[in-house]
Parts: sequence; C-alpha cells; structure tokens
Amino acid sequence: MRERRLSPNLIIGAVLVALVCGVALLSVVWTPHPYAVIDVGGKFAPASAEHWLGTDQLGRDLVSQLMVAAGNSMMVALLAVGVGCVLGTAFGLLAAARGGWTEEAIMRVSDLGFAFPALLFAIMLAAAYGPSLSVVVVAIAFINIPIFARVSRAAANQVWHREYVYAARAAGMGRFAISRDHILPNIAAPVIVQATIEFAVSILTEAALSYLGLGAQPPAPSWGRMLSEAQTLMYLAPQLAIWPGLCIFTAVLGFGLLGDGLRDMTDPRLIRERRA
Amino acid sequence: MIEVEGLSITSAAGPILRDVRLHVAAGERLGVVGESGSGKTLLAMSLMGMVPDGLHVTGSIRIDGAEMGGADEAAWRRLRARRVAMIFQEPMSALNPLRRVGDTVAEPLIRHLGLSPRAARDKALALFEETGILGPERRLSQYPHQLSGGQRQRVLIALALACDPELLIADEPTTALDANVALRITRLLVRLARERRMGLLFISHDLAAVSRTTERLMVMYGGDVVETGATAEVLRAPAHPYTVGLLAARPSLAAHGKRRLPTIPGSVPPPQELPRGCRFSGRCGQEIARCADERPQPVATAPGSWAACHLLRARAKGAGA
Amino acid sequence: MSGLLAVEAVTRRYRLPRLSLFRPAPMLTAVREVSFTLDTGQTLGIVGESGSGKSTLARLVMGFEAPDAGRVVFDGQDLAQLSPAAMRRARRGFQMVFQDPFGSLDQRRRVGWSIAEPLRAQGLGGDHGRAVAQALEQVGLRAEHAGRFPHEFSGGQRQRIAIARAVITRPRLLVADEAVSALDVSVQAQILNLLMDLQDDLGLAILFISHDLAVVSSICDHVLVMREGQVLERGPVGDVLTRPTQDYTRTLLAAAALED
Repeated sequence: MRERRLSPNLIIGAVLVALVCGVALLSVVWTPHPYAVIDVGGKFAPASAEHWLGTDQLGRDLVSQLMVAAGNSMMVALLAVGVGCVLGTAFGLLAAARGGWTEEAIMRVSDLGFAFPALLFAIMLAAAYGPSLSVVVVAIAFINIPIFARVSRAAANQVWHREYVYAARAAGMGRFAISRDHILPNIAAPVIVQATIEFAVSILTEAALSYLGLGAQPPAPSWGRMLSEAQTLMYLAPQLAIWPGLCIFTAVLGFGLLGDGLRDMTDPRLIRERRA
Repeated sequence: MIEVEGLSITSAAGPILRDVRLHVAAGERLGVVGESGSGKTLLAMSLMGMVPDGLHVTGSIRIDGAEMGGADEAAWRRLRARRVAMIFQEPMSALNPLRRVGDTVAEPLIRHLGLSPRAARDKALALFEETGILGPERRLSQYPHQLSGGQRQRVLIALALACDPELLIADEPTTALDANVALRITRLLVRLARERRMGLLFISHDLAAVSRTTERLMVMYGGDVVETGATAEVLRAPAHPYTVGLLAARPSLAAHGKRRLPTIPGSVPPPQELPRGCRFSGRCGQEIARCADERPQPVATAPGSWAACHLLRARAKGAGA
Repeated sequence: MSGLLAVEAVTRRYRLPRLSLFRPAPMLTAVREVSFTLDTGQTLGIVGESGSGKSTLARLVMGFEAPDAGRVVFDGQDLAQLSPAAMRRARRGFQMVFQDPFGSLDQRRRVGWSIAEPLRAQGLGGDHGRAVAQALEQVGLRAEHAGRFPHEFSGGQRQRIAIARAVITRPRLLVADEAVSALDVSVQAQILNLLMDLQDDLGLAILFISHDLAVVSSICDHVLVMREGQVLERGPVGDVLTRPTQDYTRTLLAAAALED
C-alpha cells in the first residue's frame, strides 16, 4: 500500500541522464561528420543544415565533437566511479566486518585520501606519466575509494546490528559469507545513490583536468578541452565555449538531480516527513 | 463531555472502524483494549481530528456539546490541547531533542493561552510539580536526552495538561516503559483524572495496565467494539467469546508452573479479509450459522454493560421464553 | 560438571565514551559474576528490565561476545577457548530466537533461504528443501511458505519462521530473547505453546529471557531475577512467584497482575 511518488528531481535528472547517455552511445556508431576531419577553409562556419552548430577554428563539425566528447566523459566517469565504488565498498565492508584495528586502519587511511584533492593528485600523476585520459581515470578512481569506503562502512555497521545478522552469526556463518549474503544487498541503495552523485563530480573533474590540458589529448575531443581552446576565441566565436559549457552543465545537473532523487526515495526518514 | 455515536471509518479496502459508540464524563476513566488491527489507535486519532488522509469518517463526535463530526481542521485545531490532549507510546520521539523541556511545555501556554514568558515558566514549573517530576526547577532547563524514560513520559503528560484539557487520550503510554516506571505512570494518570476531574481514555494492549487504571473497559476486535462494561466486571466475567479467549490466552501469575495456554486459533486477518458479520467469526470456537454474514447487535449483560454476540442474544431469548 | 549449559561467574564490562581526554574511559559492568546451569529439557527464565544485563547475558551465552571474567561452558566446552572453526561447529548445538519478528528476517530473502541458512553455514549436505519443509511443518506452517517473502506473513507467523530457522540444526539449547514480547496476547500464547511442544519433541533446553513475569511463569521451570547486572533472586518459578524475597520482584509481580 505504500505510495512512493517520484520526485520531480528524479524525473528531470533521469531524463537529462538518459539524453546524455543516449548521445554518448550514439556517437560510437554514428556522428553527422567524422569528428576529427579538419577543413581550414570552412572554419568558424555558422549553424547550418550541413553543420547544425557550425564548425570550430579548424573547421571541425561541432555537433560531432560534442557527441564524441560525451562518450569520452561517460567512459571516464564510468571507469573511475566503477573502480572507486568497487574497491571502496570492498574496503568499507571489510572494515565493518573485521572491526578493531583493521577498521581503524582503513578509516584513517581514508581520512588521508580525503585530504588529497583529485586535481592535485592528477597533476602529480600527469607530471610523472604524462597527461592522458588514463591518468584522469586513475586519479578520480583513487579519490573515490575513500568516499565509498566511508559510505559503505557506515551503512554496513548499521546492518551488522540487525537481528537477522545476529541470526546468521548464530547459525555459524562466517564474516565473509554474511557480508556477501546480508550486508552487501542491504547497503546497495546508499552506495548506488553515492555513485550517481560521484558520477556528476567525476564529469566535472574530468572537464576541469582536460581544461588544464591534463586529460584528453588532441585530437580526442573533450568538453573541458573544447572549452579551454575556445577561451582565446571568446570574442570571435563565443558559441564554441557556450556549447561545451552547456553540455557539462546538463550532464552534471542530470546526475546530481538523479542522485538527490534516488536518495530522497530510499531515505525512510525523508519518506516519513513527506507523508506526514 | 465526550460522546461518540455511530463512528465509522472506511478506507478504499473496506470499513476499518464500525459504529463505535462511547462516552467519557468528567473524571471518568475508560480503557480501550485490543490487539494490533483492532482499530484502537485509529479511534484515538479520530477523537483528536487526526484521521489520516484518504479515510472516510462518518458519525457523530460531540465534544463538550459541540458536534465535531465532519468538522474542518481549523475547528479541530481550536479544540486540540485545550479540550482534548494526547500522549503517545514513545516518549523520546515525541520531544524535540534540541529544545529544553521547560520551553517545550511553556510554548503552548504562550501561544494558546497568551501567557507572558514569565507566567508560562511558572505554570510549567507547577505542571512539573503536579506530574511528580523530580527536581522540577532544575528539569525545566534540561534537554530530553538528560531525562529517563519515565521522566520524559511525565514531561509529555505535563505538556498535555498545559491547557487544562477535559479529556486526556493516552495511547499505549506504558508500553515502552519498564515495569516499575509503568506502575508509577498509571498511578499518576489515575490521580490526575481524579484531582482535575478530567476524562481519561486509556488505550493499551496490556490488560494488567488497563485493569489498574480504568473504571470502564471497551474491548475492540477488527474495528468493532465487541464488549464494554465495568473493568473489574469484564475481566472477572467476560461475555464475548473474544474477550473470554483473550483473557484465557493471557499467561497468568496465579497458575504458575509450566502449562499449555488456551489459544485463539489463527491471527487477526488483514482489514480487507475481515468477515462482514461478526469480525471474530472464523476464529471463534462457538460460531453459529449467521455469525459470518450477519452483524450481531449489542446485548445487555449487566447494567451498563453489553457485548455484541449472536450467542448471547440466543441465550437471552432462551431464558425469556 | 553438571548441566548442558553452565555459566560460571561471568562478568562483562563495557567501555563508555570518554568524558575527559585525560581520564580513562568510565566502565559499565553490564553483567557481574552471574552463575547458573541449565539441563536438557528444562526452561530457565531470566527476568529483568532494560539495563538489567539480561540481553548481554544472552549474547555471552550465544558466543557473540566473550566474558571479561568467568566461563560459558556448553556441553563441556568453554566457548571462549574454541577456535573459530570449532566455534562454528559448536553453533549447531545452540540457536537463538530474537524479539523483533520484523527485524530478525532479511526482508530481501525468501523464507526458505533464511531457514536453510544454518544448514549452509554448517556445510551440512542433504536435501535442504526437504529439511526446510519439515521445519516449517514443525512450527505449524506449510511447506509451500518457503517460497514467500517475510512481508507476506503476520508477526506471529514470522516468529514461527524464526523458530524454524533456529531448530533446523536440531540444537540442544534455544536462547529466546524477548521472543514473545512484540506479539499480541492471543498470538503470544500460540508461540509459547509451540516452544513447549518443541521442547518436548526435541528435548530442548530453553533459556527464556523476558521482562514479563506472567509469561515466564507459564513456560519456565526455574527463574532468575536480574537487576543492574546482578542476580537478585532465583529459584523454582512457583517459589519465586508465591514467596518473593525482594521488593523488586514484588514490583514486577504487581506490574503483571490483573487488578481485582
């Protein structure tokens, strides 16, 4: 009988995310033009039937570039958040299952991780291994590990005190089996919510790193790099900065709203307040 | 002072409270006993005008002569706290953890009665003394977490009494408390009802608590009042098969030693599966043909007492013929 | 050496949050030198209110925690001395039923899965489905209930499911921590009877923990009244109920009695 009305946040977020993901997937099989073909003669072309949003300073089709960049952004975010989420959650589960000094050690190391901004870490990596999208993935993944470790440990510690977990212990189940059978399924909701929010943050971080020239290298298009290249041409061709900016805005807003909506839906405290 | 006549509450799935009749006079203590799904909490909510949305309420609720059946939220708000007040089961979650308990109690005095902050504080202190809070002066400036469960429940009672209500509804007020604390709270409620000539509606599943708190008793099952009468009388000689079964199933201190308890078979069905006639049919051991479909009418069992059961009617007729 | 379960002078302390950085954290003694024995086929009631240490005692007996002093001896084995593997094997012999019939089953798992958990944990082979069906029938449910989820059952039925899970390994000791407190009176009687039936069928020893003296009086042979971690009074149920020696016990009696 429980009624769960979908929040407008959730719906708007889901629509935006579906849009960005759809475009990213589409770019794998189809773009209006090959994104990297340079046509110096046709540079700064205005929007037309041929080039929907015009061309850039090297005559490349803007729509095609934005589409491929969406794919790159999604891929970076997916890999980085995926790796961070899996490793972080594993550490969080381990900390909650073992307790004692194991938990203490994992959480203190996590605190250290928190003290490190992703940007700084990526700059260090780029200095050592040269700038590339791989560096961006590693940097964001690394920063995500403590975030997921903390979220999953807090949730897992609560589940460890549920009676059905005591019942499993009484049955003779080991800590690993309990973590797999009971803890993980019951902390999935907060972890997924966190992943959605981190997805938005990752897109933003990737854009920032590429803007600084530490991420995607030419000719691989990236919203951040497109933005940075357009910067010098702001007065000449402002649309070159506006479109990638709008793309970043849409993707980040979409995942942010989706994450908020999911959190509201799974947080029983908020459900109760809404119903009251 | 409060008179309820033909109160029914219906959800989309069917009736969940049917034709409830009750009255509580000044200084009178009425107990409502029932298991989960009996509708006792919904009854309490309806007397506060707080029936959840989506439920259809019919019937008459007269409070102090004013007809509240079908009254709007604004009318109820004028009545709450001042005429009818309520205390709940969970004394922790009913208090704002970030406010001093003295401020919590003073607030309605300032807002509803227009007292000055100074006068409100004095009145709060008097209420703390009246409800037996230890070290009342000091308690005023404490936060809920600094109080024990029993002291918190007393604060809530003080809060409920702030605007001198004529009826106090207590919904499972002792369920979350330890035995000796519960004993003292029920004694306090009895004393307050006497001294203030205040009506008390005491709702509980705990027969022992009801027996020492109330003069009259209403037994509910599946949204119906199945039996009512003087508390001691109903407990001594229950008439309705459900009341009989409930009392028998209750572990007794008198018959100590290991023994099987008589049970009522099955469990309370969900609201939409309750039988149309007598709600207890299907679980009753003495069922007759008409029980499932025909609703039994109340039969007087003693002066001021009745039970709604077809068997009693048949028996009464048999005796009369 | 007597009894299936012997609790010998166990003490359990907890560290409370520090009040000052420079002073050691204050300690709370939840259970102080409690001793008792429990034989096969017998039921021992432990009565007390919140904070009396009765639930801590349950956790000590179940081996969820180790005592700071004293021993918990089950079937001749000191639980604290067992290796993790030996402890896991020993768990087959003692199981637990909890208070909250809503919280003691994982809502995401089918009932049959939860009931079979002890069999999987013990690495026991054989036909788990059959064992689950048998356990369900033993507690008055039907075999086909194994495929349903907890939310499809009433509180009393869930408590039956929890009991089925507890008896599926044929344990010799059952610890029931407030196992009927959350149930309606009419359902409570059914569950108490079920526990007594299982005790007769399986020769179970039951450690029955409750705050309600009336409930304890109808299912226990002996009773132990606890307050603030210590045993206040003990003896056969009839003696304690008719001739309580402590004011506290009298208060508990008054709270459970119907007034005339």
